[in-house]
Amino acid sequence: MDFENVKAQMRKGVLEFCILSILSRGDAYATDILNTLKESELIVVEGTLYPLLTRQKNAGLLSYRWEESTQGPPRKYYALTEKGSEVLKELDASWRSLIEAVDSIVKK
Amino acid sequence: MKKTFQVNLGHRVYNIDEDAYLKLKAYLDRIEGFFSDQREREDILSDIEMRIAELFAERLKPGKEVITLTDVTEVTSIMGDPRVISGAGETRQPEYEPYRGPRRIYRDPDDRVFGGVCSGLAHYFGIDRVIVRLLFVLFLVFGIGLLVYIILWIVTPEALTTAQKLEMRGDPVNASNIGNFFREEFESVKKSFRGEKKNKL
Repeated sequence: MDFENVKAQMRKGVLEFCILSILSRGDAYATDILNTLKESELIVVEGTLYPLLTRQKNAGLLSYRWEESTQGPPRKYYALTEKGSEVLKELDASWRSLIEAVDSIVKK
Repeated sequence: MKKTFQVNLGHRVYNIDEDAYLKLKAYLDRIEGFFSDQREREDILSDIEMRIAELFAERLKPGKEVITLTDVTEVTSIMGDPRVISGAGETRQPEYEPYRGPRRIYRDPDDRVFGGVCSGLAHYFGIDRVIVRLLFVLFLVFGIGLLVYIILWIVTPEALTTAQKLEMRGDPVNASNIGNFFREEFESVKKSFRGEKKNKL
């Protein structure tokens, strides 16, 4: 049994949930999202974020726009779409029920 | 003294040492190789390039104007291994099992004693054709080998096209494999041509 794989899969699912959650608080550019995720030690290597962002965007959960920046070239700002906030609500609900369910078993 | 290149990364221009450039190029190419969907690949790569550009900018200051190999090594380790980035390292199920295409039994016309039945079977089971031939010779001694061989010769199609030859070997039929196949064929023709010339001399 490959436990590293199990952990990686868990982390990936949670990561997708957290990206949506961060964006629900306001639009952000990739490095902002990255810094939040790194603070809470959810992400180890930065590169893993970008495929997730692109896939969420292609799934219609996110949109993006270019914004001028004072420190260099324009930045790509990601925003939650309507579909994205619906998915976030669902994920939030299932996350909570999952924690309860797991706690009820593990903490017995 | 080192040769430098000028690159446009995430809409910014950087001077980069030759060795650093080669390493960065190889890194980006590897990431690219993990994403098959073109639109997805372009988006991901442009985002990653933009982040790398940002990390480079943090490393430059007046008096340090060139990106060095050390910078590239640092930045690529922050970004992570291409396999991890693509998620391929996580979802890959069997360890080190290369992808194989569907395998079919054919007779191998390029490597035969009589009908190419034994070498075809050897391709199918992934064993040495000599072993299959030896087994058939043994069967022959006990009487049924000849009949089995003739039946197999009749029922097994000959691998005539490149696609069939790839299927016989169990390689997936795709453009790069067909390319490889032709390269091998070409080399073997070249070799046998040279061999013949030598024999004549």
